[in-house]
Amino acid sequence: MSLFSKYLKGWRLRANRPTLEPGSEIDVFVAETNGTSGRAYIGDTELIVNGAGPETVEKQVRVRVTDFDETTATGQGELLEVVGESSYSG
Amino acid sequence: MSDTGNGSADDGPTDQFTQPDRDRGPTVEFYGGRGMSAFPIAFFIVWAIVQTALWRIGDTGGLIVGILIGLIVGMFFVRGNWQSYANTIFEGMTQPVAVTAIVAWIWAGMFAQLLQDGGFVGGLVWLADTAGIGAALFPAITFVLAAVFTTGIGTGYGATVAFVGLFFPAGVLLGANPVLLFGAILSGAIFGDNLAPVSDTTIVSAVTQDADIGGVVASRFKYVIVAAVIAFVGYVAAGSAMSGLEISAEAQAIFLESSEAIGLVHVISMLAVIGAAIAGRHIVEAISWGIVLAVVFNLAFGLTTLGDIVMFNAPPDAPLSEPLASLPILTVVEEPSAIGVTGSLMTGVAGFLELSILVLLIIGAAQIMIRGGAFEALLEWSIDNLATNVRNAELTMVGSAALINAIITINTAAEVAIGPYISKIGERFNLNGYRRANILDGQTAALGYIFPWSGGVLAGYSAMQELPGNYEWLDQSMLVTPIDVVPFVFQGWLLVAVFVVAALTGFGREYVIDRQSEEVARV
Repeated sequence: MSLFSKYLKGWRLRANRPTLEPGSEIDVFVAETNGTSGRAYIGDTELIVNGAGPETVEKQVRVRVTDFDETTATGQGELLEVVGESSYSG
Repeated sequence: MSDTGNGSADDGPTDQFTQPDRDRGPTVEFYGGRGMSAFPIAFFIVWAIVQTALWRIGDTGGLIVGILIGLIVGMFFVRGNWQSYANTIFEGMTQPVAVTAIVAWIWAGMFAQLLQDGGFVGGLVWLADTAGIGAALFPAITFVLAAVFTTGIGTGYGATVAFVGLFFPAGVLLGANPVLLFGAILSGAIFGDNLAPVSDTTIVSAVTQDADIGGVVASRFKYVIVAAVIAFVGYVAAGSAMSGLEISAEAQAIFLESSEAIGLVHVISMLAVIGAAIAGRHIVEAISWGIVLAVVFNLAFGLTTLGDIVMFNAPPDAPLSEPLASLPILTVVEEPSAIGVTGSLMTGVAGFLELSILVLLIIGAAQIMIRGGAFEALLEWSIDNLATNVRNAELTMVGSAALINAIITINTAAEVAIGPYISKIGERFNLNGYRRANILDGQTAALGYIFPWSGGVLAGYSAMQELPGNYEWLDQSMLVTPIDVVPFVFQGWLLVAVFVVAALTGFGREYVIDRQSEEVARV
């Protein structure tokens, strides 16, 4: 991305509930887990990440979106790998 | 938000989602719970409000007594060993951020004093008079120039000190409203502190949110410029509506007559500082270059003598005073009270000695609050109870960053303390590093120059105290007390307002799925 286009990025109103594309791969932070699945919030959109256990909480993971319902802004996805740490150091 | 988990994603045991327990116990324990660790800071804030706002005593020494009493009384609430309390004060006082602020003040203080004594204020007055810039426009132009200067050098504190010493007296003499002028200077400092790539708050905001500095600056431009355009219009409008002080026509005429264009040679000194900072030089090096150039110009153009810059006033019975009395930097004085070192450099430093001590003590008290757990309790509560959806989460980020800046008055230190929590709230909703860094630094830059006890306002006020000694026509009654300037820091209020609107509407919001911040270029 050129320097100029960086200045023009973000001049818009972004939805509270962004839509996700089934089949796409996204990197998201996992907020919490029930032991076998994790839940990530992208804004107010909720994504259940199957296979995301306690070791993924507050970590960034790559997820393949398998299902997304636009009316409820909820979806499901499969954990592919852990890709990053939180910048939160407490 | 999360913990109720009432089946919006309809598959799986979503009602059992939890976060792993990350409890970290405080290192200093207090009778009355974690909240008591906020006592020293809370006591100081009440003291500062009573002293400066209710009784209108802007004495920094008095504030030092306030924080000292707060620290001493706070110690009696410590459970167990008091040594950990004392060590925590030291831990806070020795943080680099506190010392960075002090260095910026002292260097900028010397620089501004050299320019002042070298006739820069006179040059500005001459230029404004010649160009026909009246009192009404002066605050708006001061805002723009302070913004450009701060964006160049990256330290809003340094710019505040320099501009209060230089543009404030020029504006007051030309008939601009002093409160508006001080507000315009602080607004310019906010603009630059927020946007400059070399600003310490910009760097801290980027690093704590794992974002690259170039991307952070580019992405925050939209918020800063919206606030600045409105602020500029505000200063033009208020400049026309608010009258200045009555300076006697005679004093004005005398100063105008003695105002010469040659003082403007110091524009080069200022450009040297900006140039060095943009070239990536450390702020100490950048301002030092400005100081060296200012000294050279002052001497080469006969604007001051060497003795005006530094003068040793020694008693006659000192071993080498009489034999070396012919030196241009030595004066033999009979009066014991006249013994000492004077000159631009000394005057420039002297104004910030008390403030430096005060700041160290405040940072020490803030560390007590952090180690005692009040800070964490406050933030955990806000995360659990306020950040219930993405809009509320962003408003919570704005509010908590604002609150911590009200408590920890050196804005970089406040940013270091709150940074991890902003990241925690923001990552929960997958807001990207740029958005998080911008929300964090917007409040930090703004509120560090709004609250009457904040470092930026106190630095400007300290610099102002030196002015009556420099100009015959300027007396103590013309100075602005910190509480009076609060409503007129337009850029600060507007920046906070822009972020509140941005949180409510989603303006500028970016998720990690939209764009990820690049690698941090660590400085």
